[in-house]
Order: sequence, then C-alpha cells, then structure tokens
Amino acid sequence: MQMNRRVPVAVLVFCFALTLAGVGMYAELKKGQYQAATLGQFPQTSPSESLPDSQYGGKAYPLYAPELVAGEGKAEVEGYCSMCHSARYITMQPPLPAAAWETEVAKMKKTFGATIPDEVTSKIVRYLQAHYAPETRKQ
Amino acid sequence: MDATERFLSRRGLLKALGAAGAGLALSRWVGRGTTMAQEPASSGAIETFTGPGANPRWNSVGPYVTEPQKAPLLLLTDRPVQLETPRHYFSTAFTPNDAFYVRWHLDGIPNNVDLKEWRLQIEGNVAKPQAFSLPELMRKFKAVSIAAVNQCSGNSRSRLQPRVAGGQWGNGAMGNAMWTGVRLRELLDAAGVKTGSVEVQFQGLETGSGPKGMASSSFLKSLDLANPVLDECVVAYLMNGEPLPMLNGFPVRLIVPGYFATYWMKCLSWIRVLDTTDENFWMKPGYRIPDTPKGNTTPDDVKAGKVNMVPIAKMPVRSFLASPDGSSKIPAGMTVTLRGIAFSGYGRVTRVEISDDGGKSWSAAKLGEDYGAYSFRTWEAAWTPKSPGKHTVAVRATDEKGNTQPDAPVWNPGGYLWNRIEKQELVAGIAG
Repeated sequence: MQMNRRVPVAVLVFCFALTLAGVGMYAELKKGQYQAATLGQFPQTSPSESLPDSQYGGKAYPLYAPELVAGEGKAEVEGYCSMCHSARYITMQPPLPAAAWETEVAKMKKTFGATIPDEVTSKIVRYLQAHYAPETRKQ
Repeated sequence: MDATERFLSRRGLLKALGAAGAGLALSRWVGRGTTMAQEPASSGAIETFTGPGANPRWNSVGPYVTEPQKAPLLLLTDRPVQLETPRHYFSTAFTPNDAFYVRWHLDGIPNNVDLKEWRLQIEGNVAKPQAFSLPELMRKFKAVSIAAVNQCSGNSRSRLQPRVAGGQWGNGAMGNAMWTGVRLRELLDAAGVKTGSVEVQFQGLETGSGPKGMASSSFLKSLDLANPVLDECVVAYLMNGEPLPMLNGFPVRLIVPGYFATYWMKCLSWIRVLDTTDENFWMKPGYRIPDTPKGNTTPDDVKAGKVNMVPIAKMPVRSFLASPDGSSKIPAGMTVTLRGIAFSGYGRVTRVEISDDGGKSWSAAKLGEDYGAYSFRTWEAAWTPKSPGKHTVAVRATDEKGNTQPDAPVWNPGGYLWNRIEKQELVAGIAG
C-alpha cells in the first residue's frame, strides 16, 4: 500500500518538472508534442498569450489515455502499439472478429514497419482477440 | 532516452494519473443528455464504442474534448488527433473554424510553424524549382476564393455492416468553408512542369515515428496531372476569412473541390511533380475503392480477389437533417422547421426532398443560398406530425448530374462512400 501511495507523488514531481521544461522549450516546440489531460474539462478560449513574432500555434495536444482491459498482453500492447499511436485506436474500434485483429497487427508490422518480435506479436493478437472481439468485448 | 523510452515512461505516468481523472470526468459528464436515439448506458458511463451492429447515433460516441484553437468536439483519437464535429453545427452553410473536424494520419503533427522558416516548395520534374514564403504567395499571385466541402473518406464508417476497422466516424467528419488562396495551376506554371510528367504529389509537415520510407513516416498524396480538378485546386491560406487552425493545416492547405479530404493536404509544404505513378501506401493500397457501381462490394468478393480497387476521388451526393435531432418531443399538430445541409462532389445540389411515409412520397424542401457547386447547400422544410406517436423523417438530395441518394447501404473494405438516405425518428406527443 505504501508503495502505491508513493507513485502519485513521484508522478506529480515529474509532471511539474516537465511543465518547467516545457516553458523553457517553448521556442523549440515544433512537432508531435502531447501532454496528459483530463476528460470532462472544457476551458473557454483565452486571449492569445503569443508574441508578435513569426511563431504560430505552439500548444501541445492533449492526451486522454484510455484504460485498456486488464489481462495477459496488456503491457505489450501499451508498449508497442503506443510507439506510433494512442491506445484509443484500439478502444475506438467496434468489436472486431479474431481474424480482423490478426490482419490489423500484421498491417502494423508489414505496412507501417512496427518492429514487434514474433513472440510478442502473437501475445498482442491474443490479448486483442481476448478482450476486443464480439464475443469478448464488455467495455 | 530515445523517443520510445520517453513515450513509454509518459504512458506509465498517464496511467497513474488517469485513474483519478477518469472517474471525475465521467461523473461530470453523466446527465448532459447528448444521446439521440438511445438511453445512456445503465452504468452511468459514456460509451466508448458501438458495434458489432451499426452505430445508431448521428455522431460517433466519443467524449467531448477541447484541443488547441478548437471548441469542444467529439474525440475519436488523441494521438494522432481525430475529432468529429457535433451534429448541431450542420444547419448553416459554413462550418466555423473552431468546430471543423480534424483528421491526422501520423503522430508528428506540427505544434507550431515558424513563418520565417516555412516555405512552399515546388520541386521534382520542373524547369525552375520554387520556394515561396507566405508573403510571396499572398503578393505574387491573385487571391481566389471558393466554398468547398471537406469530407473525410471514412465519414459515416460506423454505419457499415459488417463493421470495418478504422476511424469510427459518425456523420460529422465533414465541414464547409470559404477557402481563399492561390491557384495550384499558377504555382505549377511558375515552376514549369516538364514534359513527361505524370502526377503531382503533395506533402505536408506531418511525420510519423515509423521507419523512413514506410507509410508510418510520411503522408503523401498525388493527383494525375491530366485530372481536370487540378484547374480548380487552390492552395488556401484563409479559411472562412481567418488563418487556418493549426489542426486544420496552418499555414496553407490544398483545396480539391468535390474530392474527398484525403487529397486536401494540410500544412502543405512540398508540391512535387513526378514522372512516374505514385504507389506509396497512401495511394496504393491506401484510400482505394472498388471500381464497381457506387463502390459497393462484399467481404466474400474481396476475399476471393474479385475486386479491382482504384483511388478514391469524388464525393457522392449526401444530405443531412441537423435539427430537430429527436431529443425533444413535438406536440402533434405543431408545424416545426426541419433544417440541414446537402452537397455533392459531382456538381451543385438541385433538389432536397423529405418523406415521412417510409419513402412512398417525397416533398421538396426549400433550398438556401447557393454558394457554388462544391459548397454545402442549406435546406429547410416545414413538417407537421399529424398524430401522436413515432414518426420517421427521411431526407434525400439530388445533384445537377441527376445523382440521387439511394436507400441502400454501401460496403467496401475501407469503409468509404457511405451516402445512404438519412432517417430520423421524431416522437410526437398528445398536444392537449
């Protein structure tokens, strides 16, 4: 229990450090910057804080990490699939037949170049079939 | 730390934060009444998916989120960003910039652009390669404006049966804007397209984390140089009279009137003339449709290898009822106004019709202002539920080429070209 309590503190400290680093790095912020955000919050647009220089845009895009179903292979899915895209690409799908998940994962490797070792590939496919197929999907 | 490690540690962090945040978010959301045809899930949580049946709602089921320069929109995915425009925005001809849907393919979306550095390059098989700054584009070339609908190829994908993998859009992956910029032809002429050229390729600032040369590292789209649509293409730096939101392609975006949005390159930065046919993933096999009538086929025919696939192009005719959306009961005998929009990639919409008797009879709706062949055309119609009970209102459009929406589903492996007649159940109550 104690271990569990320590995690959020460490996380908050790390977040704060990231925020500070973010301010300093503003000028270099160019591409693919995302930051954790909370669903259900809708801030109104505020007056622009930007400078009259040649930079346009500048905000990081919010990440709303979905909670994947617990099970064998979840860590691998989070680790490998998240290299290119958020796990929302999984939770957004309708329940897909087992063969469709196999095709999807194969496409990620062959077409998109995901470097997933073969033994991990089968684990990932089994996880998706076990939790995100018509017979299995609950949430 | 390499990029992967950095991201993985960020994921761990998100997970730790997520548990507390998600509970809070869900409890705040309940009771907002966003549902159209269904009751909220009994657990009190918002749905995260639909299927394996067709999505019964007008929009996708994602939660509302607020992204930079955007009003609250429906979330499909957060990285890369895909956001859907809510139904109520579709009763006007022009979709506000902050409500315009968003669809990116790769996670390296620009967060900002430095206009001192940014140039639009015209290169490849040309006599004089060019690099134009934004002031040069605005000063050297005549500004032209065109109203044009931008619709994702996969709009309404969640309607297909059987369902197909991909972005599970409802109907809101579309929008119409007045685009202002320079003609693509003038830019190509400035560079001088060499004889023997075949296609023109477009590339924006978006990149992905995948290996170089793979579909996951760059998003590239091409059009045939002989395609007459090139004469209508505009490189736009204004959207409804304002700079484009970053998520919609600041500083310039390619406008391909009548064509699906896959060709409308965001943050357009390279126009590349090719002397060969582009066969990168995003042209082949990506974004292809069967060369059958209405792009329709079956899973069995695809499996049997019977289907010839060709690049997706023009948008079939569609029409939508924006309101009423079925969330309110209407007293029987009260005349209400039905409102919505219609469009076609094949030419202007000439007729929008309403039916409330299952398609046996149709009556013409009144069309709104005509902003050109490629714009949304608003329509409205008076409608009176004569008796208490459930009524179903259907809307269909016809374009100037005589294409009319069918009351039949479409199926193809990409989940493209859905244009079935839209129907809305409306409940009339006893008036008193």
